Amino acid sequence: MVIKLFMKKIVIFILFLAVYTSQAQMKADDVKTFTLTNGMKFLVVEDFSIPNANMYLFYKVGSRNEYQGITGLSHFFEHMMFNGAKKYGPKLFDQTMEYNGGANNAYTTENVTVYTNWFPASATEVIFDLESDRIASLSIDPEMVESERGVVLSERSTGLENSPWRLLSESLQATAFQEHPYHWPVIGYEDDMKNWTQQDLERYFKTYYAPNNCVVVVSGALKFEEVKRLAEQYLQPISAQPAPPKVHIVEPKQTGERRITVQREVTNPYIMIGYKTPESKHQDYYALKILSAILSNGKSSRLYASLVDRQQLATVVFTDYGNSFDPNLFNIYAVANNNVSSDAIENAFYVEIEKIKNEGVSEAELQKVKNQKLMEFYNQIETIDGKSNNIGTYEVFFGDYKKMFNAPENFNKVTIADVQNVAKKYFSKSNRTVGVLKTNVEE
Amino acid sequence: MKYLNIKTVALFCLLVSTNISLVAQNYKLPKYTSFKLPNGLTFNLMEQHDVPVISISAIIPAGAIYDADKAGLASLTATALKHGTQNFSKANIDEQIDFIGANINTYASKEFAGVSAKFAAKDSEKVLTILKEIMLNPTFNAEEFEKEKSRLLVELEQKKESPRAVIGTYFEKLIYGNHVYGNSISGTIASVGNLTVNDVKDFYNNNYFPNESAISIVGDFSEKEMKTILTRLFSKWKKTNSVRENVFVETVKKPSKSKVILVNKDDANETTFYIGSTGISRNNPDYVAISVVNTLFGGRFTSMLNDELRVNSGLTYGASSRFSTLKNAGTFYISTFTAKETTQEAIDKALEVLKALHQNGIDEKALTSAKNYVKGQFPPDYETTDQLARLLTEMFWYNFDASFINNFENNVNGLNLVKANEIIATYFPTENLQFVLVGKATEIKTIAEKYGEVTVVEIKD
Repeated sequence: MVIKLFMKKIVIFILFLAVYTSQAQMKADDVKTFTLTNGMKFLVVEDFSIPNANMYLFYKVGSRNEYQGITGLSHFFEHMMFNGAKKYGPKLFDQTMEYNGGANNAYTTENVTVYTNWFPASATEVIFDLESDRIASLSIDPEMVESERGVVLSERSTGLENSPWRLLSESLQATAFQEHPYHWPVIGYEDDMKNWTQQDLERYFKTYYAPNNCVVVVSGALKFEEVKRLAEQYLQPISAQPAPPKVHIVEPKQTGERRITVQREVTNPYIMIGYKTPESKHQDYYALKILSAILSNGKSSRLYASLVDRQQLATVVFTDYGNSFDPNLFNIYAVANNNVSSDAIENAFYVEIEKIKNEGVSEAELQKVKNQKLMEFYNQIETIDGKSNNIGTYEVFFGDYKKMFNAPENFNKVTIADVQNVAKKYFSKSNRTVGVLKTNVEE
Repeated sequence: MKYLNIKTVALFCLLVSTNISLVAQNYKLPKYTSFKLPNGLTFNLMEQHDVPVISISAIIPAGAIYDADKAGLASLTATALKHGTQNFSKANIDEQIDFIGANINTYASKEFAGVSAKFAAKDSEKVLTILKEIMLNPTFNAEEFEKEKSRLLVELEQKKESPRAVIGTYFEKLIYGNHVYGNSISGTIASVGNLTVNDVKDFYNNNYFPNESAISIVGDFSEKEMKTILTRLFSKWKKTNSVRENVFVETVKKPSKSKVILVNKDDANETTFYIGSTGISRNNPDYVAISVVNTLFGGRFTSMLNDELRVNSGLTYGASSRFSTLKNAGTFYISTFTAKETTQEAIDKALEVLKALHQNGIDEKALTSAKNYVKGQFPPDYETTDQLARLLTEMFWYNFDASFINNFENNVNGLNLVKANEIIATYFPTENLQFVLVGKATEIKTIAEKYGEVTVVEIKD
């Protein structure tokens, strides 16, 4: 509704990319940026299509910054950020935001912790005040720590209770990574969750919740100058901190296949296979993303057509290659059909992989995925939330928000040979970890 | 994650909050036109040129309420629409749709069947042709049907691994009893096991007609050209003169005593529960006011329920409440989960919060907060072509018009404290509450007995 000028520009940019490169430069310019003197970087998109705005704060801290003994602390900290600061005490962050028509949420991954505020543009100053208060002077009340501990234990428990994937993927991750912090789950070990100390929390806040460790994206019905003025007023006074310690552990090269089995009462076995693959900034990223789509995106995809439709070995199959700072996993997931063993599914999957390694993919398949990527892009930029989330993600994971504007071009550059090469390079037996979850683990 | 999208679930879907007051006064629903073909099929067209995409939402009165004794039939029929048509095989449809990055989804809800689609504007002729084929000329290939059915049977079995995936069906059955609204959309393993491809063909022939159906299209197209294409494609759909049996002969009765369905799951570590009663229908004149009050009770993070069960006591990751509405009836329920050891504490607290709502009512500040919140969170609900297409379709189905949107702000602003407290007394239940508990029966059955007459069922049955 109304006019979404920013989107139009991007669309044109994609379609005529090859010809009008100079215009393409202009489109990335729709994102305006500034950096406060304390190192906090802002990316701003003016968009008056609806009278709302949002603020996404990306902190570069996640479970990869933890060590055994404090696992899950990043995620717990995410919760504590809502539990009171100097000006707005316990409960007042949420009460004030909601009174002003705003809502919020937050999420933590292995790599980042992201805070999301959605509000009517008229409430923008209140949002700046709230964020400023908790970033500058969070108060970590021991009583709030105790009650919030119960909340995250419930969050962990309900995740495990409602999906077998949670248990299987945590176990697989722990097997694939033996040294690197991707070894433990984002939610943490239950025993660590019960033992975080006040000191752990205070140190975490000082180290990681520094303005220089944060990228802020604001999209919506706001003028750039207004955002800048509010940022300078509310957030610039907060002191920078020394850069957080680098995560120095590099996972040693995997030299042989790893296998695990997990017991749980389930109807049919759940199977997951993880291949070690590089981080988002790596040159193979785009080819691997395309390979993932060729394997499992839609009913005509290779794995769905073969394993689910033709052979009826599985009822569900999907793949995932997410964003990460350090080398992580390309995962394949399947649920067995009745009377089908996990071995049969595994072998059928390897057959499909060998086909790609030996024969490559077709021109039509490659074009199909490129078309899908374009639709995906439209969907991402259709809302102010999609814009903020994507611009922030590209800035943080790819080092530059402008890469978002280059993404369609980077996908278009991928050739049949590239896809075949990444399949050969990463999809080897010695580079994989195989996990099976089933009822009878004694057979 | 801070909060499990309960917010989104807890609010009345997308229709709750409708206003843009805070910046742009006098928000109006964007212009759209409606027309009807001679066969009775209704179209709503809304041009939106911001992004070169088009969204479609179609609605056919062929939901689970027409299943009769074949539970799951409406749902399986809707799924099977994509199993091939007179002109396209299933594989051909899948390939064409995937190749252009489009999606077409067919489904059945409690009351109606639906088709939704989203695609690049340049592909509209291609997608509309496939849509027409799917809706008018499905052939229900027998082999594909058997494959679909066997997958569905496995999925139904697997749903029992997740309390959250099954609790709603038990609750609806408890509230609606033998009324058709108690019908399970997906059906049971026993009922689906008996379904045949001929059942699906019969269901299609008896229930898929243009005269009570509508198709809403929103996006980057020219209304005039679109109208021509649609008229050409959909005029051949034959209307029916037969009148279907009225499935609403039973009325939904308020429960006369408290009942507890205890769903035993032997390996449960948590108890997942709903507490509630009958609710309201979508056309209730107090719909907006109820949604504002429910926002305070259990519809947002600082709601009374979440504040007490999560923030104050750490008993759960989230607690919420919701009025789920249909054309002629609805349910109200409180929803949460807790460790099995704290089952009683959590249930008692939820009941205390409900009691406190009735005893203390709400105050001016709380009401203002809820009104601001409902208004402030509205605009993003109407940002995309998908959201707008769905809105137009729901307007058709539930028989409300643009005034609902255009007057929403006034309606919210007009809610005063006296009226809000009347809403509590009228619509939030106090007695004969209905409970569904999913958990380990041997450990929580004695607790369950404190709340009403207990029936124990096995999640695996």
